[in-house]
Amino acid sequence: MKLLLKLVQKDFKRNKVITTALAIFLILSAIFMAGGLRVAGIMSSSMKGLNELAVPPDYLQMHKGTYDEDAYQNFIETHDYIKDSLIVKMLNIRNSNIIINGKTLEKYLMENGFVVQNEGFDFLLNTENQIAVVEKGEVGVPVYYVEELGVEVGDTITLQEGDYSKELTVTTIIRDSTMNTALATSKRFLISQADHDEISLHMGKYEYLFEFLLEDGTSTSVLEADYKDAKMPSNGVVLSGKAITLINAFSYGLIAYIIIAISFLLIMIAVLCLSYIIRATMAEENYTIGEMKAIGFSGKAIEKLYQIKYIMLIVVAVVIGYLAAIPFGNFFSSSVILYCGNGVREWMKWVFSFIGVILLGLIVMHRCHRIMRKNLKSTVMELMRGEEKKKKEGHYSLPSAGLKHRNLTIALGELKCKWKEYFVIFLVFVFSSFLILFPMNMRSTVNNPSFMTYMGVGECDIRIDIQYNENLMEQKEAAQTYLENDSEIETYAIYQNGYVEIKNADGEFVDIRVQSGDESIFPLEYLNGSAPAGSQEIALSYLNANELGKKVGDSITIVYKEEEHPFIVSGIYQDITYGGMTAKAGIYFDVEDVEVYIIYVDVKDGVSFDKKTDELRSILSDSKITQINEFISQTLVGVMDNMSLVEGASISISIVLSMLITVLFLQLITAKEHSAIAIKKAIGFTNRDLRIQFGIRILVIQVIAIFIGTLLSKFLGEIIFGFMLSSMGASKITMLINPITAYLICPVAQLLVVFLTVMVGTKVVRKYHIRNQIME
Amino acid sequence: MIKVEQISKTFKDTLVLEDISFEIKKGEFVAVMGPSGSGKSTLLYSISGMDSISEGGVLFEGTNISKLNENELSKFRLNKMGFVFQNAQMLKNLSIFDNITLPGLVANKETAEDIRERAAKLMKRMEIEGIEERDIREVSGGQLQRASICRAMINNPDILFLDEPTGALNSGATDQVLSILEDLNRDGMTIMTVTHDPRVASKARKVLYIQDGKIAGCKEFQKGVDRERELEEWLIGFQKKA
Repeated sequence: MKLLLKLVQKDFKRNKVITTALAIFLILSAIFMAGGLRVAGIMSSSMKGLNELAVPPDYLQMHKGTYDEDAYQNFIETHDYIKDSLIVKMLNIRNSNIIINGKTLEKYLMENGFVVQNEGFDFLLNTENQIAVVEKGEVGVPVYYVEELGVEVGDTITLQEGDYSKELTVTTIIRDSTMNTALATSKRFLISQADHDEISLHMGKYEYLFEFLLEDGTSTSVLEADYKDAKMPSNGVVLSGKAITLINAFSYGLIAYIIIAISFLLIMIAVLCLSYIIRATMAEENYTIGEMKAIGFSGKAIEKLYQIKYIMLIVVAVVIGYLAAIPFGNFFSSSVILYCGNGVREWMKWVFSFIGVILLGLIVMHRCHRIMRKNLKSTVMELMRGEEKKKKEGHYSLPSAGLKHRNLTIALGELKCKWKEYFVIFLVFVFSSFLILFPMNMRSTVNNPSFMTYMGVGECDIRIDIQYNENLMEQKEAAQTYLENDSEIETYAIYQNGYVEIKNADGEFVDIRVQSGDESIFPLEYLNGSAPAGSQEIALSYLNANELGKKVGDSITIVYKEEEHPFIVSGIYQDITYGGMTAKAGIYFDVEDVEVYIIYVDVKDGVSFDKKTDELRSILSDSKITQINEFISQTLVGVMDNMSLVEGASISISIVLSMLITVLFLQLITAKEHSAIAIKKAIGFTNRDLRIQFGIRILVIQVIAIFIGTLLSKFLGEIIFGFMLSSMGASKITMLINPITAYLICPVAQLLVVFLTVMVGTKVVRKYHIRNQIME
Repeated sequence: MIKVEQISKTFKDTLVLEDISFEIKKGEFVAVMGPSGSGKSTLLYSISGMDSISEGGVLFEGTNISKLNENELSKFRLNKMGFVFQNAQMLKNLSIFDNITLPGLVANKETAEDIRERAAKLMKRMEIEGIEERDIREVSGGQLQRASICRAMINNPDILFLDEPTGALNSGATDQVLSILEDLNRDGMTIMTVTHDPRVASKARKVLYIQDGKIAGCKEFQKGVDRERELEEWLIGFQKKA
């Protein structure tokens, strides 16, 4: 063993750069593998913990307006699969009436409701994951606002409506198993019963949450069907426990999936590099291996001798990776811990990441073993003669017109012959380029005004929501009159939203939200078909079409005012608003059935959006006025918040990877080509010439890789981003790329990093002295 | 042509060459002999500027090449020197013909056409026509060594340095290479070769014997003598001393 360790020590000293680079690769892979699984462990424990303590409902139906209490009670009593039920009275208060630390919430899209603590289930928890309790004059604030507004315990929230004003002190931060994430568009504030009663006398409008816990084994679809049949109150969003879990998993889990995906790619690259290094090292050691075989060493003994170095590297990488994954994983799970707490199964984060690094170690060791076995199969004579089993690399021809650009010609010629050797570095460069551009492109897509098309409407500048009011009609008309007379407004369109019933694929009627208005003013790009024309056509959002099992040309029956109306599906569009479940049709709702009026506005060129938004807010004080870019970013906040974290990390990783692989490859390739370097030096090439030739080879490979990586980040990126957003309602995303950043700044920056690395890395050619090479 | 003035070389605290001085005149054929590890190859590479020296100087037609920087040395080697190595080192991604023409194209003193023409002539002279487009692994050792000589000659160098040119060749191929070297020297080419083989050294006009990094002896042959026999007798003297 002592002898083995001495040999390994000697080998490390001889190949310092290669060994270090390989160690960094393996350590990075281990950190990502363990880190990703640690995030997954924390996420799983946290979500399970929150669910176990808060007990979210299995089925939740939102409803605005009155309902028949006796009928509802009767429904509960006659359905014995309902284990428990709850009616949460949520007092919705307009965002402009809620002032937190001196600022209103008017620019936020969230709908904010004030509730008292529930009994039985669906508890709102504090940051200790205990059932939160607030006294009179106190309020519990959703954790979302801690992240968004930096609300802290001790802050003041003022509710104001006309002359009435109510001050509440923040005494607790609320974790809400049902509406926690940024993807849930409603948020619940916890207040005392006394304050609830008092505030409701002055402001707000009730929305009811009908919540159910079901007996084990009962499907929510059974309840859903019975609930509809019994015509229970149901004019709002419906959510199943499964959907809530899905939304939460998507929101918190995205980062874990991305880290695990990156770690698998890193492992793949590390294994490729390792294979390459082992093959290169073994080729150099052929003679020695032949000698050992000749004097009677067994294949196993030789394998052990060479494998010990890699095993030691793997062990070091695994230990460092596992330890480094602790702060790494904690950093990326800070959001899920903030929203859900540490959970009840903390062991998961330790065990998951441990399994991850062990798995990584086994994969790498297996690969090592296979390559060595293959190498050791040669006979003693084959090894000692150094017979290469590789195919000939082939030739390139010198140009008949002479060598005007000798370094370029030779570098390209050699690259043509040796391109297979560059496959690994090519893959790493493609991967690096993709890793930099993909999150960047996602951000630029979301920031582009054209992204509006995924929000179910064509491009516009400002959105006005008129809701929660007895006199919606008057407000709508006031807004219309103002917009009509404002010379800075280019155009606007008013839409009314209401609910109708539609027969789904199973023949059951379900409520869907329908928007009605002139679709030609802000034309929308349809996935299939076109906007509804006339009163017999309906366009469905992508998720609705999927859920209803409808395609363009299908007929559909709509029930409004208890009358059935036949419609034809005219088109399918993408929409990530309202959980992706919307429709467009020329249905003119009665005033009392209009849930909300939405006005989309385009301002004239040169008019400041900020100024116009502020102006509209001051005039149309009862409406919610949001700039479209804010509307988009707030709708996607759950995705994009995580993405910006990932974006920073991925750029750093890509740069480190590019530098590492460049140094590693230059070391390996120059060592492999020592003889060619010596010949070239002997016939008159300078060290500078040789460095340029190696530089050209690497940079040419990188340019091609960046090109492919850029294409992948666009086309594969669209598929991945579409997959990420498909659960929200948009499946076919076109990346809206900022060409200067994506096609100029990023490639140039990547090339520059590699160029500088090449400048340093190619200095190694100086050490290949002709004398040593030729005299070997 | 080349004046070697008291050169010494130390490598990792070991004195490899010690206080060596001699001269190579234009058109001369000099062979360097000596036991393994005596420093003969080091001497060749030191004189040709391929290796650095610790003390002394090498004057090549009045230019002290030991004072030149790496770039100047490369240019010097390209234009003034030709090299042939024991294992006929050639670039494996080029055909035989392109390997030969490469130094000419890099030097860029003549048109590509002229260089190709000369390469073809050299190949004909070395009797290796027909292997132009072959891979370096598809020809015999003798053919490859003759192609190496063609490459060394492509820029019309002032001197040809050879390091064990026949070390890896069989007897037939050795004869071919020796005959070519004699021919070249007869045409005025200055040659310096390191060799173990008395047959090669006997083609030289002057033989230096290196032992322990020093010149232990120098033999100049007169015209008309049996060089092989004289050389053998001379070498026996060194072997006895050892």
